[in-house]
Order: sequence, then C-alpha cells, then structure tokens
Amino acid sequence: MLRPVEMSRVVVAGSKDVMEPVVEKLHEMRLLHIVSYSGNDKSFQMGKTMGKGKEFSESLIKLRSIERYLDIKSKAPDVTFSESDIVSKMGNLLESVGDEVTTTFERITTIETEVKSKQDQIAALRPLSVLPLSLDLYYGYDSLSVFVGSVVTPVDADVARASPKCEVFSGSSKNATIVAVFAPAEKASDVSTVLAEHGFTDISVPRLTGTPDQAIATLESDIKRLMGEKDPLQKRLKDLNKQYEDQILAADEYLSMQTQKTDAPLRFATTDNAFVVDGWIPTTQYETLKGELDRAAAGKVHVEKLSASEAETQVEAGEDIPTKMNNPGIVKPYELITRLFAIPEYKEYDPTLLIFVFFPIFFGMILGDVGYGIMILLVLAALKKKFRTEGWQQLINIVVIASIWSIIFGIFFGEIFGPLGLWGYTFGNLPHEEILALEHSGMFFGEGVFGPLGRLGPLGMFPMYRLATNAVLLLIGVSLFIGVLHCGIGSVLGVKTELNYGEKKHAYFERLPVLIFQVAFALLLLGLILGIMPLQIVSGIALVIAIAMMIMGPEGVMGATHLPFFVSNLISYLRLLAIGLASVGVAFAANKLAFQVIMPMLSGGSESPSMVAFIVGVVVLLLVHFINLLLGILSPFMHPLRLHYVEMFTKFYSQHGGGVEYSPFGHVRRYLKV
Amino acid sequence: MAVTDAGVMYGLLAVGAGLATGLAGIGAGVGEQGIGAAVVGVVAEEPGFLGKGLFLMLLPETLIIFGLAVSLILMFAWTPFAALL
Repeated sequence: MLRPVEMSRVVVAGSKDVMEPVVEKLHEMRLLHIVSYSGNDKSFQMGKTMGKGKEFSESLIKLRSIERYLDIKSKAPDVTFSESDIVSKMGNLLESVGDEVTTTFERITTIETEVKSKQDQIAALRPLSVLPLSLDLYYGYDSLSVFVGSVVTPVDADVARASPKCEVFSGSSKNATIVAVFAPAEKASDVSTVLAEHGFTDISVPRLTGTPDQAIATLESDIKRLMGEKDPLQKRLKDLNKQYEDQILAADEYLSMQTQKTDAPLRFATTDNAFVVDGWIPTTQYETLKGELDRAAAGKVHVEKLSASEAETQVEAGEDIPTKMNNPGIVKPYELITRLFAIPEYKEYDPTLLIFVFFPIFFGMILGDVGYGIMILLVLAALKKKFRTEGWQQLINIVVIASIWSIIFGIFFGEIFGPLGLWGYTFGNLPHEEILALEHSGMFFGEGVFGPLGRLGPLGMFPMYRLATNAVLLLIGVSLFIGVLHCGIGSVLGVKTELNYGEKKHAYFERLPVLIFQVAFALLLLGLILGIMPLQIVSGIALVIAIAMMIMGPEGVMGATHLPFFVSNLISYLRLLAIGLASVGVAFAANKLAFQVIMPMLSGGSESPSMVAFIVGVVVLLLVHFINLLLGILSPFMHPLRLHYVEMFTKFYSQHGGGVEYSPFGHVRRYLKV
Repeated sequence: MAVTDAGVMYGLLAVGAGLATGLAGIGAGVGEQGIGAAVVGVVAEEPGFLGKGLFLMLLPETLIIFGLAVSLILMFAWTPFAALL
C-alpha cells in the first residue's frame, strides 16, 4: 500500500482497418495510459482525427453555448440515460431547443441593451428639466452651435462678451447650474473656450421631442414595457433549464466521449496502413487488455509488453512512468492530502497510508474534546448530505475519522466543552477527602500553578487535565517522542527511496544519519531528564557518529549545517500539545466567565442571577464556544498538515520532483448508462 | 540584588514567558507575511501549487513553537525548582 501499483510498458500495433474498434475497446476498458507520439521518428507520422470527429466537435461547441445560455453547470447526476436514447434526443436538443434558447437569450440581451440606453437617456434628460426649452429646440440647426451642460460659475456675461449675438438659458438644479448656450457657428470655438474656463461639462441631449419631463415619462414607460417582456423570457429559460438540464449534461458527456475517441489517433504513431500506440498499464491487467483487444480486432492487432530493461530505456529517454496510488477505500480520501502536495513518483513511496494513520491522531490529540468532537460529527453528517461532489466527500471523510479520534482523546483528557476537571473547579473544588485518598494511593499529581488539577481517574492521570503542570510536562515528552517516531518512519522510507533510485551514498550518508541523529537526540534528552548515565553516554556517542556520517556524506561539512533543522523538526511536534492548550484555555475561560454570571451562588454570590446577567452569560458561553470550535477545526487541521508536509515529507518525499498521475484513456460515465 | 520574594520571582517568570511567546509570534508573523503574499499570487495563477505554497508558508511557523517551548519550560518545568529556592 505504501507503493504505487506496478506498471508495465506496452505497445499496441495493428492495421488501420481495425483502428476504430481498438480505440473503442481501449476507451471502454479505461486501462491504457497513452504516451503521446512525439513525432521524432521519420518512418511514422502523427495520426489524424477519424470518422465523424469534426461533426462531433461542432455539435459539442453548439451544445456548450446552449449550456452557457441556460447556466447549466456540472452536478451530481439525478437521472442517467442510455446512449441510444441520447443520440435520438440529440437532434431535438441541438435544433429546436437550441434555437429557442439562442433566440430567447439574444432577445434578453437586446432588451437589456435597450433598457440600458434608455436609462442613460433619462440620466441625461433629468438636469434639462430646469431649462424652459422643449427638446426639439436643442438640435437641427445649420448656422447655430448649441452647448448644453453644467457649469460651476455663472457664464452669461462672459459668453456675451465672446459672442455678442447669443442666447443663454440657465437654471439651477440640486447641485449644479445647467446652461444651454446658442451661439453662431463661427463663434463656436471662442464660446467653448469661455465655457471651459467656467468648468463646463457637456451633456449630450438625446434627439427626442416634447419637454424633458414628457420625454422621461415616455422612456420610463418604455423601460417598464421592456422589463415586462423580459421577465417571462427569463422564466422560459429557467423552465428550459429545468426541463433539459439532465439531457443536455448527458448529451455533453456523449459528445465529449465521441470526440475523445475520434481525436485519439492524434496521439498515435501511424504509417499509411498501420498504427502504433504506446502506453503504460497496471501489470496485472496486461493479459485482460491483450485478450480483449485481440477479440475486438479479430486478431489483426499485436499487443506486446516490453521487458523491464526495455522499459527502463524508455524512462531514461524521458518518459514518465504514471503513478496509480494503491490504497483501500478507507484510506483513499487521504490521497487528497498527498495530492495537494504532489503526486508521488513511480519509484517513491506513497505516504497516504501514513497520513491515514497519523493525521487523525494528531488532529484528535490537538482538539481532544468529546463535546467538540460530537459537534463536528453532527455538522459533518449535515454537510455530507448537502455537498455530494467527490472532493467534498473526501474532505468530510477525512474529518470524520479525525473527529472520532478527538472524542477518544477527549475521554483521555477529560474534556467536554472545556476541561471537566475545571468544571469541578468552576463549581467548587474537589472534596478534601478525595484528594487525601488519591494522595494515599500515590495517584495525586499535586497542585499545579492553576490550582488543584490533575488528580482524577483510575491511574491518577485518566482523565488527565491538560492545563495541569504534570500533564503539560508529560505531553511535552509524548509529543517529542511521537515526533521521533513520525520523522523516523519518514527517514526509513527516505533511505529505501534513495536505494530504489540507486543512490547508495545519499541513502547511507544523507538519510540514515538523520534517523540516528533524531533518535539519539531524543534518547539523550530522556537520559538527562531521568538521570540515567549509561543512556546519556550511549546516545551521546550515537550523536557524534551521526554527525560524522553527515560530514562524510555527499554534502560534506555543509551537510552538518542542517543539524539545527533536524532539532527544530522534533521541537516542532510540541505544537501537538501547544495548540491544544490554547483551545482548552479558551474553553476554560468561557466556562468560568459564563458560569460565574449565570450561577453566582456557586462562587458565593446572590442566590439567583438577574435576567440580564443570565442572558449575557448564555450569549458569552455560546459565542466563545462557537468561535473556539471554528478555530478548533481549522488549526488541528492545518498543523498536522504542516507536520506531514514539513517534518515528514522532507525526509523522503518528492525529493525527485513530483510524479505523473495515471490517467487511462477513457471516460468515467456520470450521466450515461454503462 | 538577589530576588528573594517568591511572588516577584514568579511574576518575572510569567513576564518572561509572555515575552518569549509574544515576540516569537511577531517574528513568525513577519516571516509569513511575505511568503503568504507570494503564495497567494502563485496559487491565483496556478492552483496546483497550493500544497507546495502551504509548505513554504508554514515553514517559519516553527519559530513560535520555539518561543512557546521556552514559555512552557519557564512556566511549568522551572516553577517547581523556583519554589525550592
């Protein structure tokens, strides 16, 4: 499971007579990851589109434009159609439905443009209503120039000076002075200069008749009429969408599949009479492919598997072996996280299984609250019904497992919407005799800085309270050693990956010392804390050996400069404790604040709270817990992600650049029946 | 001048712990600021780089954990010893 599916390089060669059935079969089987022909060989040409390819792509373009007009988007299928059914409906969809959609849509567009232009005219007419002129007086002169617009300062006197023969009308509206200046055409430039000095802004007068107010009324009634026409058209489009959505999506799928098939020869190498297809398939599927193709082409096709060394030559020539990740159903959603970083290379390890194991545990360890865990599960159950696309389903499945872990850790930490132990603290302390009993059995963890915490459960630490001194110290240690384990697995895979690539020096002097260094470092710390002398000495020696190996490695002394990075890798795992502490702290604060207000009698106040205090208390409680829950989903998700991407992946993953995903020739049917 | 009052001692520890986490947080924030802006730019052009962008953006975040580790040691591991003084 840590390795991708084993692949084989195959060559399919045959007579051009059988190209169509072979393509049909390959498309149906969805097995062959085709390697496109590069066109380097003189004796072969690239293939040409076959059959009705052109027709299909034209129909597809037309269908896509109908989809755009109807605003149809890909969605989870409600009904599926058989292929023959869709073929028979195709004509209707493309011709009558298509024409109706196009004409309706075009009419709506025309209406919208008309309305827009009429609105612009209204906007231009509004200021003119302050002038005592009817609209037909503004245009149609041969020897007169007309200036209409707004000005900042009065213009009458200046205009009269520039052109003695003139007529000026002015009126003031809400925030501007509107003027209409009529002057002889030969004085136009003088007048325009004068106007410019007064901050003149031109208004283009629409060529209409009547007074401005009448014209506006006509325009407004026109707009109303046009809108009245538009509404039923839009409703018609909506109806058409509802009626034909499924059919159109299915037709789109049918046409896409057909063009895929007819365009396939573009990736083949062909001669006048034959064709050759190169590709990769999962090794176990080779016999099936060979058998099926033989049957489809009635023996007129030759399928051959290249030997390992021949395949290696192809790879060295620059061909990528496609990676098909091989994970069982429950692990599969976690491929999303792997994919987000990079597709593993064929020779690399696929970290998905490790993410499946560690990611939810990290999430749970950080969040660690029964109440929050159940809340997240409830929300997810609602989301799962609502968002049915594959990506969302994967994400939801990831968080489901993580929230179950957070419930488990919540029991460990004794937290339900905040620390249970602190609920006791909020409502009054634990009885003295209980502390005595615990002390008697040696299970009392002592009074932390925050008061009498960390003292319950069958082992004295179960449930442990994360805010208690001892719990913090314990969790620091646990986090560090989880880090050693997590990074250690990464390092082991790193060594093996380098060996897969045949880089022995990198394996033994670059990856291995990191493993030794980190383990020795953690053991040295343990030895120092517990005061075990032999452990200190042995781990100290191991540390020195690791550093020496690094210096002998391919990077020389530079290799040893990476040491601080490996120390910080381990310290980074403290976030497992730290992020959790922050959210416990917030929950604790919320509980304490709210319950002191809601139930003052518990902390020695009045017997019953006032109504206002009660409401404020409840609001504070809900609000702070809600915010904490949101943060409690986000940060426990992001931080383990980081621990994987930065701390673990750097040890083994994606050091040789990302891989190419296995995408076999074919199509997954969604709207069409198989 | 020796600090003899346990209360003052504990107060100073708390101030130190606060500074350690707070200043480390500011440092990490300054670091991530530039990277974050660049990553948003890259992802807008090429959504496939989201994972690698996240990786780069989360790198300086360890700083704040260092600060936090120092604080935790001050507040939790050091306190019992301080009480012995």
